[in-house]
Amino acid sequence: MKVKVSKFILNMALLLLGILTLIPFIWMFFSSFKSNAEIKSLYQTFLPKEFTLENYITMNDNFNFVRFFGNSLFLSITVTFIISCTSTIAGFVLSKYQFKGRNLIFSFIMGTMMIPWAVTIIPKYSIIRSIGWMDSYAAIIVPVLFSGFGIFMLRQYCMGIPDELLEAARIDGANEFYIVGNIVFPLCRNAISSIAIFQFLWMWEDYLWPFIVINSEEKQVLAVGLKMFSGRFSTNYGGLFAATAVSIIPVIAVYLIFQNRFVDGITASAVKG
Amino acid sequence: MFKRKKLQSKSEVLLRNIVVTAIVIFNVCFVILPIGIAFVGSFHQWNPLKGTYNFLGFENYKNVFTNKLFWRSMGNTVIFTSFAVTFRVVLGLAIASALYSSLIKHKVFYRTIFYMPTVTPLIAVAFVWKIMYNPQIGLINKLTGLNINWLFDGRYALASVLLMTIWKDFGYAVVLFLAGLYSLPKDCFEAAKIDGASSWQVFRFITLPLLKQNTLFVVVTSIITYMQSYVQIMVMTEGGPGTKTYLSTYLIYNEAFEKYNFGYASAISFTMFVIIAFFSALSFRITNVKEA
Amino acid sequence: MIKKILSVLLISAMLFSAVGCGKKETSSKDNTNDSAKETQMDTVDKKEEKEDKKLEVLGDTMKYDPNKEVNDGQPITIDFWTWDFVDIYQNLIDQYQEIHPNVTINLIETPWSDYWTKLPLSLNSKDSPAVFAIHNSYHDNLINYMAPYDIPLEELEADFLNVDSHLIDGNIYYMDYAMMTANLYYNKDMWQAAGLTEADFPKTWADVAEVAKKLTIKEGDQLVQAGFNYNGTFNQMVLGLNYQLDQNLFNEDGTATMNNEAMNKVVQYFVDLYRKDGVGSPDFGTSAGESFGQGQSAMIVMWGYYYNQLINDYPDVKFGILEVPKFSEDEDIYAYNRYNGESSLGISKNVSAEAQAVAQDFVRFSLANDEFLVNYSVRANCFPTKLSLANRPEILEHPVLSALAPNIDRYIWPGTMPSTVEDNMKIAGENILYNGMSVSDALAQAEATINSDLSNIDFVPVENMYKYAK
Repeated sequence: MKVKVSKFILNMALLLLGILTLIPFIWMFFSSFKSNAEIKSLYQTFLPKEFTLENYITMNDNFNFVRFFGNSLFLSITVTFIISCTSTIAGFVLSKYQFKGRNLIFSFIMGTMMIPWAVTIIPKYSIIRSIGWMDSYAAIIVPVLFSGFGIFMLRQYCMGIPDELLEAARIDGANEFYIVGNIVFPLCRNAISSIAIFQFLWMWEDYLWPFIVINSEEKQVLAVGLKMFSGRFSTNYGGLFAATAVSIIPVIAVYLIFQNRFVDGITASAVKG
Repeated sequence: MFKRKKLQSKSEVLLRNIVVTAIVIFNVCFVILPIGIAFVGSFHQWNPLKGTYNFLGFENYKNVFTNKLFWRSMGNTVIFTSFAVTFRVVLGLAIASALYSSLIKHKVFYRTIFYMPTVTPLIAVAFVWKIMYNPQIGLINKLTGLNINWLFDGRYALASVLLMTIWKDFGYAVVLFLAGLYSLPKDCFEAAKIDGASSWQVFRFITLPLLKQNTLFVVVTSIITYMQSYVQIMVMTEGGPGTKTYLSTYLIYNEAFEKYNFGYASAISFTMFVIIAFFSALSFRITNVKEA
Repeated sequence: MIKKILSVLLISAMLFSAVGCGKKETSSKDNTNDSAKETQMDTVDKKEEKEDKKLEVLGDTMKYDPNKEVNDGQPITIDFWTWDFVDIYQNLIDQYQEIHPNVTINLIETPWSDYWTKLPLSLNSKDSPAVFAIHNSYHDNLINYMAPYDIPLEELEADFLNVDSHLIDGNIYYMDYAMMTANLYYNKDMWQAAGLTEADFPKTWADVAEVAKKLTIKEGDQLVQAGFNYNGTFNQMVLGLNYQLDQNLFNEDGTATMNNEAMNKVVQYFVDLYRKDGVGSPDFGTSAGESFGQGQSAMIVMWGYYYNQLINDYPDVKFGILEVPKFSEDEDIYAYNRYNGESSLGISKNVSAEAQAVAQDFVRFSLANDEFLVNYSVRANCFPTKLSLANRPEILEHPVLSALAPNIDRYIWPGTMPSTVEDNMKIAGENILYNGMSVSDALAQAEATINSDLSNIDFVPVENMYKYAK
């Protein structure tokens, strides 16, 4: 009985919280079917009074939506993949190997995450330009090959891998590359999944850097397109909300794919080994 | 723990060398160099867009320390960050535990809902909330029956921005804590249950300690993120009313990209860096002390 | 499991609809391409005619001869960056390419907010656009990368208003196509409902206070309709009204003066409108423009850009536009307000000589092209600087421009005022209205910050270039 009551309360609380979470979001979604006049009007309704697809249809007037969408997808997937790999390997080395300067490297990576981008972005731009990567995807991909967040996350996670497990593999004659590929990667899948979820999101949303290093229209990314709705004097809310609604679909999809990796507790039993 | 050191194999040395070299080269090119340029720039009157670069010595730093707005924004940032981090961790942990427990049905549904705000670009979200906070047409006054000018009243403005930020961001912590929870060895819980521990006891004495690494990660990355928040301020209050909701990074952004005073912006950044580094070191110290 | 399948289905449905939209859009784009092709066909026909008949020379004193070849008739492509007015510029480009089929001009639209970061960075490199739109508040970052116009100064001075204020070492790097300034907007329905007529149109700020009282509606203490609203537009509105009281914004040494008698008087007037006359409130309608559109505020003062927003976002509001009121009944005042120019195009000095030559020719074409200038002014709600256009019917029929027409020479351009001036006056306004600071303390604080920021910038006020400068 007690369990039933607490189950009920818990479910209700979660439902309430879920509704509260969804309200602003649904409001935005419905507003994407309103005209700007209606969004800003005095008499606010949740559902659009006059349902219009105008905001979605005119999206391509501002920029080549499909093209930008594809570019963003390509870049985000590539970078997410690379960062998942580099973070896992670096996280493993920085947590499981003993060597001089290990903690120095780690503290350094952490420390530099705290410098606001606003002051380093222009110097970074000069570096990219002097290398000659302007207007190429190298300018976007190479500067994020290693992610501080990723290395930090995987380092924390790898510390939880029992040394005995690695030792056992080593005694069985496995070399380190085999261990990384066949033990560390599978063991870290929850951490890798969460880093992939966020890395994809961050890359997808990243705006200023692609904007300043990419000049050709055909290489530009979606986040830059979304900015087109903020004009000099006013914001086209309807257009912004519509584009936002469409642009979050892949992020949700990536989330669902990786989130479902969490479900099984295989890792736990493997660690117990 | 140090016994293993002797067992270093060839492949271990090779892997270590590859990784360390790659990290070092990468960091020199894309981290140290830009930061170094910015650091040198902080001693100059520096506008890279125009090409100004005049040596000033410690002038910029002197101005940072005597600038009242810097201290106000630093104070705001500390308040903003501590509340945002606390709520993110508490809310994230609570919801993640609820979603992990066997008492909840429709897990995928809830997980998706709680993640929705996190994936929505901050700029769009900030506009939505700005309209919701409007005293005449906004949803919030309508639902609560209050008559408050949320974003223009010095007493509520920062709290209003904070509320939006918490709403937007707790999903991040939910995902990370869920990842942590699912990685925990199941047999611990089973053993505890057999021993007759209450769910609170299980949570307090088993789950929480096991999630320490996750918590540390969430806390440190959140501090870093919130110390650098500015988009919500830019969209919702522009630092106002007056200068009541200035956050440090908004000030930095303003100096760099509105006034093109990059030297001064860098000086603020490095001053702030020292302060954040101190806090982060502190949080590491605290968890490490517990560990030992 | 069903939930899982459902959510996957939902996602894929959403994806499909997104792709669907995208497809539709591409096809509509194809259509415009077709129509572009058609116009190109027309062009070909016209070109054949051209060989027989010479094209008409454009311009007043400054001429543009379309019969002169550009780049020796060799093909050339240049980039043109802008953040706005894409259709108007594209129209200009189409006209130009019709005359000079060997020239291709790529119009590239970038979002306003970071245009000002990307543009200077690009101008400092070979990827630079040859031609670009400018806003004069970013003058300081751009001027080092610009090439001066190769048009004789006398020709420009003869045709355009206030050219001299843009002189730098005897050269013009950019000037104004048109001038934007503020007007008083009033809601016609409310005007009628309050029993007011055209005879009540306010000429002075004292009149404004009087009619605003009649236009204010309250339920108990609660405002239902504000007679006058300036929330969110405080800085835009007060900066410039000081001229009505014979006070410049800048001292002779180039520093700003905000905490002076005139500005205190101006600001105090508006504070009293809320506090003493009770015709509005800082908490009622937090954005004056929106509140006016929503039919909650009867009068506001807004700059030209607002007109487009109003007719787009609030098509149902019936409104009228008046000249900005004065502080005295005197006909002969120093100036009504400040204006700001919508700048003419800039030319990069870092592109090849050939590209620069084409850019120069294109800019001259734009300045000689009356159709373009009129279209631009009407779209931007700005008064054209070209003297010969002042009496064009399109200008005189435009609600904003016709209100400005009678005294358009009585507006001052203070110079390439950096954003710190507006930003700090905005802070001053909020400090007074929301944080309980006294008017003169707030202005003093703004003045101090502005002057400390100005010391880092090469800013030269040009109030002394004003026609009626004292």
